Amino acid sequence: MSAAIATLVLGFVIGYLGQRSRLCFISGYRDFLLTRDSTLLKGVAGAFLGAVGGFILFHFLGGSVPGFPLFFFAPPDLDSGLFITVVAGLAVGAVGVLAGGCPFRMHVLAAEGRKSYWYYLLGFYAGLVFYNIVNVRLLEVIGK
Amino acid sequence: MNTTPFRAGLVLGLGASLVQAYFKVIPPLAYGVCMVCHPKDLFNWTADHLFSLDWGYSVASTNWPLLTVIGVLAGALVASARHGELSLRPARQPLFFFFNGFLMINFGLILGSCPIRIVLLSAYGDWTSIIGWICVVVGVVITSLIVRWNARRTMKLEAAS
Repeated sequence: MSAAIATLVLGFVIGYLGQRSRLCFISGYRDFLLTRDSTLLKGVAGAFLGAVGGFILFHFLGGSVPGFPLFFFAPPDLDSGLFITVVAGLAVGAVGVLAGGCPFRMHVLAAEGRKSYWYYLLGFYAGLVFYNIVNVRLLEVIGK
Repeated sequence: MNTTPFRAGLVLGLGASLVQAYFKVIPPLAYGVCMVCHPKDLFNWTADHLFSLDWGYSVASTNWPLLTVIGVLAGALVASARHGELSLRPARQPLFFFFNGFLMINFGLILGSCPIRIVLLSAYGDWTSIIGWICVVVGVVITSLIVRWNARRTMKLEAAS
């Protein structure tokens, strides 16, 4: 129950801040590449720094941060699923650019009342059903 | 105080580590915020409990589903309403957006994270995610360059005709 409430509150906070700041984890790279505008890219840097700082801080305060930092404990696993990771990573970047942003930004824009993004969310959740019925079995066959 | 993307990102990163450390949003690791996995958990948890479909969800969602996506929608709705930016705007290219959403969740779930969580996992020190993050950026770069090239070509053709 605490996890559900905590994620609801955190979601509300980042949804509010994301709407005010236009935070996006795809547009940051795109804007910097095309116009050298680093405003949104700083959001990605902020998330990375905030996460690193938080994990270090809570690790020393005794919070649940097992195996941090992972690169000390788990060497790179270059066999299992690396090809899938590369292909899916490239595809996420490509689809994000075509849609105009990351899923977080799309949810924020949909909440602003932009109906185009309602269709995005419709496809998003229809895709989830497709994933559960088709892709889960495909991935089992591939062995990821 | 202005809400800059850097500050918003900082709050997101800190919040994600906080909910993992003290509110049991774990396992998997670095799972504080994910905009493809948390919607999947909520959707599959609900489907499982209503229709017994046996669609999987993470251990963190075993008792109650993670409600990040509901919070994001509510937070953005309140922010846009408070600042006079909430208004219904007509849809353009609905089919295009539908397929983008469809593809994004499928590739995101195959990757195992959204563009936010891949940053969080990289911050946690996961090698595979660092490679995945680099691939996301490369995907953005390649597609942006293709879109720009296509736009310039179309403009030249229109100017010529």
